[in-house]
Amino acid sequence: MEQPLLEMRNISKQFPGVQALKDVSIDLRAGEVLGLVGENGAGKSTLIKILAGDYRADTGEIFINGRKVDFRSPSDAAAMGIQFIYQELITLDTLTVAENLLVGHLPTRKMIGMVDWKAANENARQVLETMNIDLDPRTIVGDLTVHQKQVLEIAKAIHKKATILVMDEPTAALGEEDTQSLFAIIRNLKEQGVGVIHISHRLKEVFDITDRVTVLRDGQKIDTVQTSQATMTQLISMMVGRELAEFYPKRDLPIGDTLLEVGDLTINGIIDRVSFSLRSGEIVGLFGLLGSGRMNVLRALYGLDGYDAGRVAVKGTPTIINGPRGALGNGIGYMPIDRKLEGLALGLPVSSNITMANIDNIGRGFALNRRLEREKAQKWVNDVSIRTPDIATDANSLSGGNQQKIVLAKLLETGSKIFLMNEPTRGIDVGAKVDIYHMMENLCEAGAGIVMISSELPEMLSMADRIIVIAKGKVTAEFNRAEATQEKLLHATTL
Amino acid sequence: MADILHIQPGQALKRRTRLSTTLILFGVLAVMVAVFSALSRDFYSFQNISTMLTNISFSGIVAGTLTLVMITGGLDISIGGNIALTSCLVAYLFNLAHPVPAWALIPIALALGAAIGAFNGFFITRLDLNPIITTLGTMAVTRGLGYVLTKARSILIMEDVTGFIGRTVIPGIQIPIPLVLFAVIFAILFFVLSRSKFGRKVYCIGANQAAARVSGINVRRVKFVLYLMSGIAASLSGLILTGQTAVGMPQHARGMELDVITAVLLGGTALAGGKGSILGTLAGVLILGVLYNGFTMIGFRYVHISVFQGVLLIMIVALYELRDRKKN
Repeated sequence: MEQPLLEMRNISKQFPGVQALKDVSIDLRAGEVLGLVGENGAGKSTLIKILAGDYRADTGEIFINGRKVDFRSPSDAAAMGIQFIYQELITLDTLTVAENLLVGHLPTRKMIGMVDWKAANENARQVLETMNIDLDPRTIVGDLTVHQKQVLEIAKAIHKKATILVMDEPTAALGEEDTQSLFAIIRNLKEQGVGVIHISHRLKEVFDITDRVTVLRDGQKIDTVQTSQATMTQLISMMVGRELAEFYPKRDLPIGDTLLEVGDLTINGIIDRVSFSLRSGEIVGLFGLLGSGRMNVLRALYGLDGYDAGRVAVKGTPTIINGPRGALGNGIGYMPIDRKLEGLALGLPVSSNITMANIDNIGRGFALNRRLEREKAQKWVNDVSIRTPDIATDANSLSGGNQQKIVLAKLLETGSKIFLMNEPTRGIDVGAKVDIYHMMENLCEAGAGIVMISSELPEMLSMADRIIVIAKGKVTAEFNRAEATQEKLLHATTL
Repeated sequence: MADILHIQPGQALKRRTRLSTTLILFGVLAVMVAVFSALSRDFYSFQNISTMLTNISFSGIVAGTLTLVMITGGLDISIGGNIALTSCLVAYLFNLAHPVPAWALIPIALALGAAIGAFNGFFITRLDLNPIITTLGTMAVTRGLGYVLTKARSILIMEDVTGFIGRTVIPGIQIPIPLVLFAVIFAILFFVLSRSKFGRKVYCIGANQAAARVSGINVRRVKFVLYLMSGIAASLSGLILTGQTAVGMPQHARGMELDVITAVLLGGTALAGGKGSILGTLAGVLILGVLYNGFTMIGFRYVHISVFQGVLLIMIVALYELRDRKKN
């Protein structure tokens, strides 16, 4: 067998409390596309970050063209011809295509060291032409589409003599046409002998573009298979593979009256006639891939972003949601996906954070009733079991799980009946997760309803009573709890 | 479960240190008063203390409202221009062929300040413009209008119209009215900031504006009200200055933004927002007021003090920055 371009052998990596990777080996040959698939938390990103030199493996070795390498920083990896295209593109938006492409080595006029723009644009044009890329070197990069920027990043990587290209979810933000055009470029690179590692959640694409697929689960390599000999079902069962544990405290609760009815909700170009309803005692899951529009549905319902058309009825009364204040006034509460960005006032005490969304009701008139605030905060700290020295502690000094519980407490303090939860357990430890699941069940028992987004399949399948699948802005399927399976959900995202 | 609970060892200590920042400032103030009293016999005279406190009141009122603005992460540097234009307008209206009656001048002046504040607030909250740039523009506009209105001359006020607000003392106890205004305004602002729902919203916006919005706080309205308050406070200061000097002139209160911002920062308000207190600002304005007055009494000139003031401003910011960096 020919010498692999890249080999990662027996890589292990431990983080505090988590074995992120255990004895994982992969190899990549020249002119091949290797797919890397697995659920969130399976260890894909950790593996890639070790390859990039962002992390150091605890044990294991990396070989490039048979030579052992030791990357201590991202520039080491770049020097060995490995380039990375991440989901979030790092283009210099105010500069031109040529400047982005040639950044760091723009041609200069000999005498005075000034940039020779004519030569720069000409160089860039040639580079783009050899790669069959149709971009004008003089275009300002900020004016390009996401797809064009991505193509530019690839061109830049190749221009830097990359022999190994790693792409992390490159198609997440792309439509079908752009995806195909991206694949055409990847196929072109294969012919030139470049090895590509392609990470994607979209299994259909994995079948379209890869030659072999490596499946990771819970930090371990399950197998590497020839794409042509694998089936979708086979891959999914390899990715999922585990029994859903008792971990999820789901109870059978009575389902009551309709709390929220959404009809033909449309945001032009993003979501298209999304309809669903939520009843009391019920958790409805919105499932979809990144960029499917599921988050836009939630944000629109809370009034964070506007919508172009559609009807919303709260307890049977047609309502126009007019900003977060209006949503809260209608008994709708929202848990943002990123607690640090939109959830917490870091730097303020736990108590101020808990009462933040209900501040107008803490005391009569203009004055803030500080004793009432302390009582309420203390009550929630106990009820939601927030582990904090006291309620005056800066929210910033608590762990992610406890911060997330503060966000939940804040939501509960508003007295809402309809909860929109965007990834309620994102990035927190198992103990805190279970606490939050219990609170969600308690809410449902008390007659509330929850619309939940989760990209963790087991969480979705275990906690949601009904699951609505959204793909490319449209509802493609709806399953009740009994009939939903991972395979069905994943399949519906490809529709 | 040690990894779930990241408690810093000095958690309980931390709050004590924050409180003591203000305490240290008041300590510094006491030392300064003692030193200047020893160096200059005139410093500790009733006459000088009264003058000093009146001067402090003049800039202190704006520092109070600016503290709230800065806690939201904003800034208002149009206050000096606002003060100058107020003084010009009052003097101009009083010197017309048919003078505007004295009783009407105060509401007119305050309305002018409110209009300037609303102008700032509109552009900053509705169009999301940068507050520094917006109020820098307003500063130029207001001062320019002052020159236009007075044809670049000083307009004297011969009769004691506004004097009663600027100079007069409350009969019997000899307390200057500006000082009374200053005290009342600070008492109100203290209540607003630390004991009211509105004040809590101010802190929330400063700590995380996006989270405040998601929490249903009307971010735009709160910030608009603050710029409005800042404008009104500036015109009130303008009235005081007009009363004290009995002249309306466009050069009034030049560079005053610097005095006021220095005082607020010295008091512990973070430029990035989210942190600050009225008591801290009180200490800040008192320290700066005593410093300028004391330096003048022991023979320094304005030009020297200006150099010192610039150095002091940078030192304050550097000190707080270093302290915060150490904490993280």
